[in-house]
Formats: sequence, structure tokens, C-alpha cells
Amino acid sequence: MTAVRTPPPVKARGENRMRRTLSALGAAQAYIGLVLILAVGIATKGEIFLNETNLTNAVGAFASRGILAVGVTLVILTGGIDLSVGSLLGIASMTAAMMLARFSLEPWQIVPICMVVGAFFGFLNGAGTTWLRIQSFVMTLAMLSVVRGLDRQVSDNVSVGTQIAGPDGKLTPQAEAFQVFGTPGHNLFDRIYYPVLAFIVVCIVFHLILTKTRFGRHVYAVGGNPTAARLSGVNVTAVTIAVFTLSGMLAGFAGPIDAAYSASADPQAGQSYELDAIAAAVIGGASLAGGKGTIAGTFVGALILTLLDNVLGLNAVSDNWQLVIKGLIVVVAVVLQRPDLFTFLRGGSRS
Amino acid sequence: MNKTITTITVALCAALAAACASKAPAPSASSGDKSTFVVGYSQSNNAEPYRAQLNLQLQHYLKKYPDIELLPIADARQSSATQVSQVQNFITQKVDALIVSPTEPAPLTAAVEQACAAKIPVIVLDRTVNTDCYTAFIGGDNVLIGKKAGEEALRLLPDGGNVVELRGIMSNQPQIDRDKGFREAIAANPTIKIIADREAKWLKEQATPIMQQWLAQHEKIDLVYGHNDPMALGAYLAAKAAGKADSIKFIGIDGLAIPDGGIRAVQLGQLSATFIYPTGAQEAAETVNKILHGQPVEKQQVLGTTQVTKDNAAELYKQYDLSGQN
Repeated sequence: MTAVRTPPPVKARGENRMRRTLSALGAAQAYIGLVLILAVGIATKGEIFLNETNLTNAVGAFASRGILAVGVTLVILTGGIDLSVGSLLGIASMTAAMMLARFSLEPWQIVPICMVVGAFFGFLNGAGTTWLRIQSFVMTLAMLSVVRGLDRQVSDNVSVGTQIAGPDGKLTPQAEAFQVFGTPGHNLFDRIYYPVLAFIVVCIVFHLILTKTRFGRHVYAVGGNPTAARLSGVNVTAVTIAVFTLSGMLAGFAGPIDAAYSASADPQAGQSYELDAIAAAVIGGASLAGGKGTIAGTFVGALILTLLDNVLGLNAVSDNWQLVIKGLIVVVAVVLQRPDLFTFLRGGSRS
Repeated sequence: MNKTITTITVALCAALAAACASKAPAPSASSGDKSTFVVGYSQSNNAEPYRAQLNLQLQHYLKKYPDIELLPIADARQSSATQVSQVQNFITQKVDALIVSPTEPAPLTAAVEQACAAKIPVIVLDRTVNTDCYTAFIGGDNVLIGKKAGEEALRLLPDGGNVVELRGIMSNQPQIDRDKGFREAIAANPTIKIIADREAKWLKEQATPIMQQWLAQHEKIDLVYGHNDPMALGAYLAAKAAGKADSIKFIGIDGLAIPDGGIRAVQLGQLSATFIYPTGAQEAAETVNKILHGQPVEKQQVLGTTQVTKDNAAELYKQYDLSGQN
């Protein structure tokens, strides 16, 4: 690499076309993994894999983690990290179950309460990172521990069920309505599985926020170069606090889904979900250095993770090998995301 | 500005010191007259419902002995390293007796030996250690419980059938034993087959998607055996959604008397049966009292199990329910 390479001018036109083709391929890179997994699923299991129930089940099982991944993507875009989302989901899940069990609140009252709880802790994350200048890794690691402790304290370490029976032995109307948040077999309008719908809607909303609003441009600017962003008039502090608060709020939003999915809020719910969320964002092309990544990518990353799990499960691959394969997939996916991958393959390495 | 920080620091230190002081009621001072005894308990993980129940019961039963004081329960949060240091802390505090529920046998063996060397009587509760140097072991017999679950499966499937098994964390001894006992028992009827088994890590939310996949793969599933109630109930949710809950039997283990636990699930007809995994709290309280008053105790106390069926569920729930009693 010490020799100075002068690009031969004769080849310039051919190389240009080559680069255009490659960059078009590069744009599709994010989907290669997904297409491969779908292909393997269809080839090995056909109808069993490719039917509405199975796909709904697979995406539904991951939906709460997918929603966390959207929040984590926002934080990652600003160059930070949020390790506390699993704990925040846990406490929101517990909040939802307790609101239902103790106070018989209606589902439409429970969701905003959980979102406020999540947003509150998210705001603290943001405040700690900006005003106290604690690195977000450290701040959210501390929050992971604090919130898990609070979760266990309020629940007395005992899981709280959401299928609450009234005096007549049937579910109370509130508990009946709460099931629609994701208890398997309960659908909106008898058709739509709420966790899947919620995940897709969250992705669309935050995709629009990031691509169409000034706030979205500021998020990318802060992650790309905070100093330049500040000099060009972006309020870096406000943006940072906002992304952490939004990430917390999304974790709060996912809480009732998690509680309904198991028909019970476990004090350990959401443990290590932050790793799945980060993995989804990274597989989807987000760079932990900040400034790079999209919600569409995270969406695909989440699909890859959950469909991979589904395909391996349907093919009865042993649990130990599943762990190995999932780890390898992360590495492969990240390599596939590299914009210079094709340059690299062609042998033209840039030092 | 600097002054404020100093003030805050001083205040924090004072608060910390106060918190520490209130936590350690100087057992060495009371050991002189021996009118009261101080007992330390190291729990492997407070956040499992079964262990939360154990803690509650131990506190409840120890209250019957006014001369025994239980220090705040030390929670190792599933980490053997944490637990070793907690046990060592109790040794340093010179507690009069120590109760340990080991996270894992091997790492805790040395710590228990240290306590033994310091002449502190040790009760090993629930899981074993690899040494003889303790005063009493109290625990359930998971192989036996697995066997009972298998016998229940034989009864539920007289004409044979397909069984799926949801396992706890693979390296956990209870998982290994509950699997072993079950397989031994169902061997009596070769037409009963375990067609699939997977690790659901004791968690309800892990069991649901696994069961969904099994329902997609296998035409006929007759019985689900979960190594604990939450996993069996997670599978039940999946089967209910697929409209197959009525044609499948569900067996769990643990039988906790909490609103979200296995006994209630049997009452509601979600589980065909569950088996109470005894906490051993009552026996531990009795044993520690005997030890402290110089009475002989049995070294190996292996506890039985009770099968929870629809008939005895209500009664058992009342018997084991401690909410509102502490």
C-alpha cells in the first residue's frame, strides 16, 4: 500500500459504469440477508414456513424487540448507545400489568401511562449524557441496573398476570380488551395481530420523522459531526435529550405488548433485549460511530433476526448451533453492509 | 460550586454510612450473651418467582423464633462470583448460622468450606455443593418430580402419543434431573414418544414461539411437558391461539401459590397437573433453630412433592399462600 497508485485514465469510463452498477447492488445489499433467509425457509419448509400464521407468529414474537430497535437506532444515529431499553420495557410491562390488575384501567389509558414511564427514564438518560456529560454507554448501563432494580422492587419479584378473572369467573372487560395487545390468538377486527401492526406503524412514523423533518436532519447532523452541527446552529443538547426520551417512550410503548404476549409481566421480562435491538439496528446498517443508518434498515434487520430464528426452529436445528449461527449472521450481515465491499472484492483496497 | 459538591459528597457519604450501619446489626456484640442469634441467607437469584416465594416463606417461618434474627437476604443475582463474596461477607460478620442456596455447585464449594473452617454451621438449601463440610442439606428431589410427571403422562396417554418437552436452561441441574426422571417414567409405555424438545430457559415468553413452531411442524401433539409452569403456560397460550388447547394436555412443575402461578392454572384447567417443588423454607427454619440450640439435625433432608390436581388445587393454594401474612 506504500506505492502511490495513479488511476489509469483510460479505464475511467468503464470503472465509472462499474462503480454505478456496484453502488446499485450496494443499495440492495441490506436485503440480501433477508432474501437468503426467505429462500432457505421456502426451500426447506415451503408451505409450513410461508404462510400467514407462521410469519405473523414469527414477527409478533419479535415485535416488542423491533420497537426497541427503532428507539435504539435513533440513539445510535446521534453516535450514542442505549443499553437500558430492555429494562425500560420490563418496567413498562410491569406497569401495564399492575395498572390492569390493581386499578382495572382501560387499555387506552394504560398505553400512554407506560409511554410516560418509559419517556421519563429515557429523559434521565439524555439528561445524564448531556448535562452531566456521562458517556451514554455508562449512563444507560447504570439505568439498565437502576430500572431493573425498581422493576423487581415494585413487583416483589413475582410475575403479575394479565388474564384477570372477575367474580363470575370470566375475564374482566378490561382484561379481555387488554389481550388484543398481543396475547396469541387475539386480533384486532379478528384479522390484524396488534404487535405486528404496531411495529410496522412505529417504523413508518419514525422513518418519516427521520427523512422528512428538520429534527430528523439534525439527528443525522449530530451523529455525523457534533461540532459542525453545533456551529451550524443545531441544538445538540436538545437533540440528544430528545432521542433518548423517544427511545424510552418507545420502550414504554412496547411494554403492554410484552405483557400481553405472555399474558403476564415477569420481573425479568426484557432482559438482554437491548442486545437483540442493537443487533437489529447494526444488521440493518446502522453504524455505532453515528450518522449512518435508517429505520428501513433496522426493520429489515429485525426481520432477519426473527425469521432466522423461525427457520432454524422449524428445521429443528439444535439450540447450541442456533446460537453459533445467529452470531455468525451478524458478522456476515455487517460485512455485506460495507459500502466498499465490492471495491474490496475487486482487489482494490483503500488503505 | 466546589463547596456545593463537597457538601453533597459529605451528605452522600453520611447517608451511605448510615445505610451500612443499619444493615449490619453487629452480630459480634450479640454473640457474647447468645440471647439472640444472627442468621445470614445467601439467595442465588431473588427475581425468580419460586425464590421470591422461598424468601417470603423463610422470613415468615423464622419469625416464629424470636431469638433468631435474619439479616437482609443477600441476592447473588445469578452470579456465582457475587455469591461467593456475599458468603465471605457473612463469614466476616461472624453470623451464628448461614443458609446458602447455591447458584452453581462448584464455585460455591470453596465458600462453604471457608464457612465450615470458621466453625459456622451451614445449611445448604435447594441445590448441592461438592463437599461434605456442611451441617444440613435441604432440597427437593427433581428426579423424583420428573418421574411423577412422567407417571402422570402415562396416565393421561394410556394409548400412547406424541410429547413435546420444554427444557429449562440446559446446564442447570434441575433441568437435567427433571428430564431424566420423566424419560425414565415414560419408558414404561413405548408408544409415548418425545417428538421434540428445546431449551426455553425457564421463560414463558421463550416457550410461546417455540410451541408455535412445533404446532406448524407437527400434525399431532398430545402432551406438553414443561420443566416449569411458566413454560407450560407459554405453550398453552400458543396452543389456545391455534385452537388446539383442548386436544393437548399440559404438565408443569413448581406449583407456586401466587395469582400468576401453577396452582391457579390447574384450577383454571389450563394445566392438567403440576407438581409442587418444595421451597424447604419451613424445614430450613426448623433446622436452623435446632442447630443454634445445640440439638441434633438430620444431615440429608430430601423433600417430597405434592401433585396438584383440580381436586386439591384450591386447598393447596390456601395452604401455601403467604400473601398478607408477612
